[in-house]
Amino acid sequence: MRRIRVGKKFLGAIVGIVALVGALEAGADETCNSPYMGNLIKGQEDYLYVWALGVKGSGDGADKLVTIDVNPASSRYGKVIHKVPVGGGRGEAHHMGFTDDRRFLWAGGLDNSRISIFDVGSDPARPKLVQTIANMPAKTGFVGPHTFYAMPGRMLVQGLSNTKDGGGVTGMALYSNKGELIATYPMPTTDGGDGYGYDVAINPQKNVLLTSSFTGRKNYMRNLGDLVKDAEAMKRFGNTMVIWDLKAMKPRKVLSVPGAPLEIRWSLKDGDSWAITASALTSKLWLVKPDASGEWQAKEVGVIGDPAKIPLPVDISINKDGTGLWVNTFMDGKTRYFDLSNPEQPKQTYERVTGKQVNMISQSWDGTRVYIASSLLANWDKAGADDEQFVRGFRWDGKELTPAFEVDFNKEKLGRAHHMKLGSKTMKAAYGLERTANLR
Amino acid sequence: MDSSAPRTSAEARRARILAGLAAAASLVTAAVAVPGTAHELDDRLPGPVTMDFVPPPPGSYPLHAIMRAPDGPVLDLDGRRLRLSRFTAGKITLLGFIYTSCADSRGCPLAYQVFHTVRHRVAEDPELRHRVRLVSLSFDPVRDTPAVMRQYAAEAPRNGVEWAFLTTELPRTLVPLLDGFGQDVRIELDARGRPAGPLAHVLKVFLLDERAIVREIYTVSYLFADVILNDIKTLRLEDSPPRRTVP
Repeated sequence: MRRIRVGKKFLGAIVGIVALVGALEAGADETCNSPYMGNLIKGQEDYLYVWALGVKGSGDGADKLVTIDVNPASSRYGKVIHKVPVGGGRGEAHHMGFTDDRRFLWAGGLDNSRISIFDVGSDPARPKLVQTIANMPAKTGFVGPHTFYAMPGRMLVQGLSNTKDGGGVTGMALYSNKGELIATYPMPTTDGGDGYGYDVAINPQKNVLLTSSFTGRKNYMRNLGDLVKDAEAMKRFGNTMVIWDLKAMKPRKVLSVPGAPLEIRWSLKDGDSWAITASALTSKLWLVKPDASGEWQAKEVGVIGDPAKIPLPVDISINKDGTGLWVNTFMDGKTRYFDLSNPEQPKQTYERVTGKQVNMISQSWDGTRVYIASSLLANWDKAGADDEQFVRGFRWDGKELTPAFEVDFNKEKLGRAHHMKLGSKTMKAAYGLERTANLR
Repeated sequence: MDSSAPRTSAEARRARILAGLAAAASLVTAAVAVPGTAHELDDRLPGPVTMDFVPPPPGSYPLHAIMRAPDGPVLDLDGRRLRLSRFTAGKITLLGFIYTSCADSRGCPLAYQVFHTVRHRVAEDPELRHRVRLVSLSFDPVRDTPAVMRQYAAEAPRNGVEWAFLTTELPRTLVPLLDGFGQDVRIELDARGRPAGPLAHVLKVFLLDERAIVREIYTVSYLFADVILNDIKTLRLEDSPPRRTVP
């Protein structure tokens, strides 16, 4: 497949169009997990699980789960210690999510719509593929399992597309932790809803499920150069977020958030009831919170870089007390930090180029360790020397990001580094193997 | 092959599980000496969890069939061996795993408090009083003997609503029940992989319909008596339970 070389000349030529190009990252790190996951890692994490896209001709070419030792006290610090290739060809490996008990890690492919379930509880250093769900499109009509969000005993999976036309109208599928489909929930297409989906995030105390919107398979699997030249296709990106009644799983209100709102982060601070997101196409930060009358509203509260230069915010990570936000912008390879002390007025206080292309960003619970991965989508990543593929670890002292280690995914023939989740040897299940035996 | 070695991978797995459970049980005892640490890693939301919403009215939403409740032998307060299904079918059932030495205010004591509230309000509703039961099942068979469970149960005076306090005879009879419900139990390990702390688990409470099908699962972030009561009423309002094949 032909891939486009994204250079300065190219950017200059398409600057007016590419602003509509969506980013496709939803994050997940220790401060951004489901509130139903009680067993967070609040000390030193031992492992970084990386869901990597296979690259034809590079190693075995398969999508795989890569485990990196990230404990500085370990003799294997910064080294790959385990790899689990999965079948189904190159399926556009993308995002992952733990079950509520953190014993299993679900990982999705946006192209083949397969869900791979890894046992990370039996031996956190050596995840094992124990189940594959390959019939999500046939069973649900949804395509492109994106966000995996733990609910009690269940996994909520947000699709990006559908089987009928490959567009952005989609829905959510609810599975039991054992992989049985329980229910489906279409994204709303009335009362202002565009039917698109992307990320999901829950505020249990408010009984609110908040969703965001991106684009369909025909767009996210398309060659970037072709896509940006197709004005009609570029119109087919999400412009909404939806407030759901969590208990009833019914849409309550559609919020207008133009420009493909992607990752959703609820503040974890006690008493807070707001969430923040970044709109990829317009490079803005949006705050979602109730107004004085209790009505949920979304409002623009800041910009990320110079939107005219198309920085393309692709992932955000909020810190544990809701006072700071990391933002990665793909095009300029920058990692930015925003002071969120007043979420109504975020202020950028730091930035650093962390790669020629950067995508996912994850942080430890205490915020002192930050991990960055490079890949956005197979057909959207840069080309040539700009196509760096890596995971980089940094130290953060509140003022400066200091490089700590790097794994070169190109050099080690691991593919394209995408989503990251943290693991700990202290999370070993007492008797998790029994569950593994029950999985098919 | 060594005659004492497990003959199959399943047996080997079972042996590891039992060894882990034995270690876990011993650590429960440690939890008694270290109150408040049983859920150290679960301590994400300090203080009591508040409900800042009005739950949707009963019958206005579906409760999907999540899974079939497992069955197996349990012990009642008199030490009689009974099947768990005796306590999960025939009534709408609220079931939670506990261990009597749990000291974390957001763990078993929270579940006990919510159970008590639900039970009190069910007792006041003649439509529900004889159609709802509560079950507290220990996942500490070593320490929580029927005698210990009897002492624990004594704190819940009779009010006409059934509340069963159960334990198991052996770890090997408990494991299939934990596994079937998807209730995790974790041993905290130190950097060298040695047991370093007490038993830990993610608090879960299960709502079962009269056919012993799990219809809702609550955790510490969503364990509200008002929501549970509405869910119980929602099940009562069902004309016909979902006939979907249950996993």
